[in-house]
Amino acid sequence: MANEEWEKVKEALRKPPTEEARKEAADAFNRYRIVQLEKGKGSTPTLVSLGLKKTYPHAIPVDKIPQELERNPEFFELLGRIVKK
Amino acid sequence: MPTVLAMSSFDLATRSASGFMLRYIVPRMGPVTLYGMLARRLPFRLSAPQSDIIIGVGHGDEAVFSGHNEAIILEIGKYDSREVDGKVVKLLSCQTGVLLGPDLIKNGAQAFLGYTDDYVWVMDQDLASRPWADKIAATSLMPVIDGLNALLDGKTAKEALGIELQGYSRNADVEEDDLIKACLEFNRSNAVLLGDGSAKIFPRPRFTVPIPPPPILFPMRA
Repeated sequence: MANEEWEKVKEALRKPPTEEARKEAADAFNRYRIVQLEKGKGSTPTLVSLGLKKTYPHAIPVDKIPQELERNPEFFELLGRIVKK
Repeated sequence: MPTVLAMSSFDLATRSASGFMLRYIVPRMGPVTLYGMLARRLPFRLSAPQSDIIIGVGHGDEAVFSGHNEAIILEIGKYDSREVDGKVVKLLSCQTGVLLGPDLIKNGAQAFLGYTDDYVWVMDQDLASRPWADKIAATSLMPVIDGLNALLDGKTAKEALGIELQGYSRNADVEEDDLIKACLEFNRSNAVLLGDGSAKIFPRPRFTVPIPPPPILFPMRA
């Protein structure tokens, strides 16, 4: 189930960072996290990076990723690069 | 032989990474550890020429490596080549492998280990006061530690990178969380070695600290 939702996240992140694509990726990520949360993993998992002067925060709690995806094209592109590798 | 370890610890990302360094690398170091507020340009400039290895933990971009509160420590065209000449440099930072790494090599560094894109991982925010206990972050940061320990054991830069890459692969193979797995694969694909792969440093004695360091109590910027 989680893999299926993750594939949808990846698919959405492959698109150019338009407003619709960002919304679609945010929704897909939300569904993916709901499945992961049901497994009860981690207490406050947070995605962190060592980037300098980025438009996205250095630390984003995983449950806030959908909001950041929807709001920020640079973060959308970063997550796109992460899932494409 | 002193080892220069510059590591900032002012936000969640730097605190998590520096926490693992405190637990697993600092006990092997000489007296020069530029931690927290000391991770700045002036102390770095004074101590770097004395060492055969520079280890840095902090935020960065293609041309810059920074320390406490993003104060610039190394920037293309704004450092003395004596600071890096003949040294092995490892920067746990974003994107420094693109321009800064090649510039360090051009200015005499023997080898450079870094990353060509963002360095990303998932950590548990609830463990920010004792980051070395964070098993989620360990999936990504322990391969870095294992690679550094290999360097400090006297292995070559190429062998150290190989150990780090194997660590990412091993952890990704058993990781169930797709996001964490994607981060591991991303970091693995962005890790680079520039310069002389056969570069080695003077080996440091290895010993295990029986108890972890005390919790980090410096104020942190979220």
